[in-house]
Amino acid sequence: MRTSTWAVVGLSFLAAACGSNVNGSGRTLIQNKGSDTLVNVAQAWAEAYSTVDPSCAVAVSGGGSGTGISSMINGTVELANASRKMKEREFAAARENGVDPVEHIVGFDALVVYLHHDNPLESITIQQLAEIYGDGGSIERWSQLGVTMPAGTSDEIVRVSRQNNSGTYVYFREAVLGKEGRYKLGSLDMHGSKDVVDLVEKTPGAIGYSGLAYATEHVKLVPVSPGEGQGDVMPTVESAVDGTYPIARPLFMYTAGQPTGKVKEYLDWILSDVGQRIILEKGYAPARHF
Amino acid sequence: MSSFRATELDRRNQRRERWVRGLFLVMTLMLILPVLIILGTLAWRGHSVISLDFLLSFPTNGMTEGGIFPALVGTLWLVGVALVVSVPMGVAAAIYLSEYAPENLLTRSINLAIINLAGVPSIVHALFGVGAFVLFFNFGTSILAAGLTLAVMTLPVVIVSTRESLQAVPQAFREASWSLGATRWQTIRRIVLPNSVSGILTGVILEVSRTVGETAPIMFTGAAFFLPFLPLGVGDQTMALSLHLFTVSTQVPNVPEALPFGVALTLISLVLILNAVSIAFRMYLRGKKKW
Repeated sequence: MRTSTWAVVGLSFLAAACGSNVNGSGRTLIQNKGSDTLVNVAQAWAEAYSTVDPSCAVAVSGGGSGTGISSMINGTVELANASRKMKEREFAAARENGVDPVEHIVGFDALVVYLHHDNPLESITIQQLAEIYGDGGSIERWSQLGVTMPAGTSDEIVRVSRQNNSGTYVYFREAVLGKEGRYKLGSLDMHGSKDVVDLVEKTPGAIGYSGLAYATEHVKLVPVSPGEGQGDVMPTVESAVDGTYPIARPLFMYTAGQPTGKVKEYLDWILSDVGQRIILEKGYAPARHF
Repeated sequence: MSSFRATELDRRNQRRERWVRGLFLVMTLMLILPVLIILGTLAWRGHSVISLDFLLSFPTNGMTEGGIFPALVGTLWLVGVALVVSVPMGVAAAIYLSEYAPENLLTRSINLAIINLAGVPSIVHALFGVGAFVLFFNFGTSILAAGLTLAVMTLPVVIVSTRESLQAVPQAFREASWSLGATRWQTIRRIVLPNSVSGILTGVILEVSRTVGETAPIMFTGAAFFLPFLPLGVGDQTMALSLHLFTVSTQVPNVPEALPFGVALTLISLVLILNAVSIAFRMYLRGKKKW
């Protein structure tokens, strides 16, 4: 008798385990994972969507664009968030797994160059950014940009960057350093969009790049110019939408094949006026005008 | 008479004695210092957000407002699953090693394996959990996968502390039982286990404290950044306090300053409360000890 009771307990435990993708209450679960840039707006969408369709729950996790895309390829998530396009290598891995990734643009993001609040720099060009961040670049000191740092602050530029599976890292490299560009060694590579801003806020000689949504009043947003004498553009939602800001990028969600059922409903809702208003509130540019 | 008078040597020894004693006292006090500072800072900076509402409501407005209920419930689920798996397995292994195992190569290898398992960093356990439970057994990212990962991680703690408390039961107890004709299993069940329960509970307390705080092993195996529902079974994903603390302090912009402290305070209070319950239970059992 005793043994059989235990067997039943054990079996039901296993049964519960095997049905892992079916939620206890029959709710459909959408797994949404990836970009740290998108994680907060993804969370806001998931939070709002729980009242739109209570029969559907969206689980959000971060980890980086690369993490999300590889999870989509191996089938553990339905929706991968990415702040960059999928690479050829990733498409190849997907094909090998019998997955045909479909890209959806869900918004745009202005990549902001952040400075410490006391930094007197008024504007920066893409070329200067490349000299600062790029392998072989010549700019190492603030004085080379023609600014004098406040007394007591080192003239040396402290470069703050991202970890290499970050979509922000990849996009900044492509947009600023060029296709073949490589980062200069010796930067401080942070693990999240917010970490970059937090570190720049506390470090007088620092420069860093991160999404516009992570701006706080404690850091300085520096206008970026596409080239010498071509005018400075302040990073804003408007300048990201109209394309004048030089380092704005599309934000993606990838699905394995064309979305169907609840995943399609969720994506349609994200691109609806309600969903797009949420991304706008979070400090990103919407994917379309509404 | 003069032989009882303190010599210069005696006085010097006495001075040195006081010195050493004082030094060790200061070092011991310095041990408590971090505990006091941590608890004090958390209580001072985090107490303002703690309320029943905070503990029992969902996070809202991009996790900058509202409560931590799903994370709190998720942590209890994870601790529960880890305990359900690791305590029976760990105690069984410890009973075998302490009461049955002959002194041979196999036993020595098992002991070595346990020591090595205890030394594996938690992030490696996390990767093992992803490979074994999430992918190979196909549990998906779920409470089950995360709980099992935590169980594997804490197994050595349970085994070692249980084995030590079993060995603390006097051998004479066993011999008396055997000489009355009891079998090994009867002796273990009626004599050894009842007399070592308090020691086993110590292991469980240690396990709980470790499980509640771990972030790495659950990050890839079952914990989510945000979930709009409470987990209903071991197949669900869950939020967890430790990961929630990580996200509100590093990932989410514009979080009120007191919020992460409030989450940390809740986390540490949960550990203290769980520990207090098992310590009380242990004291109750110890009161019934017969030697």
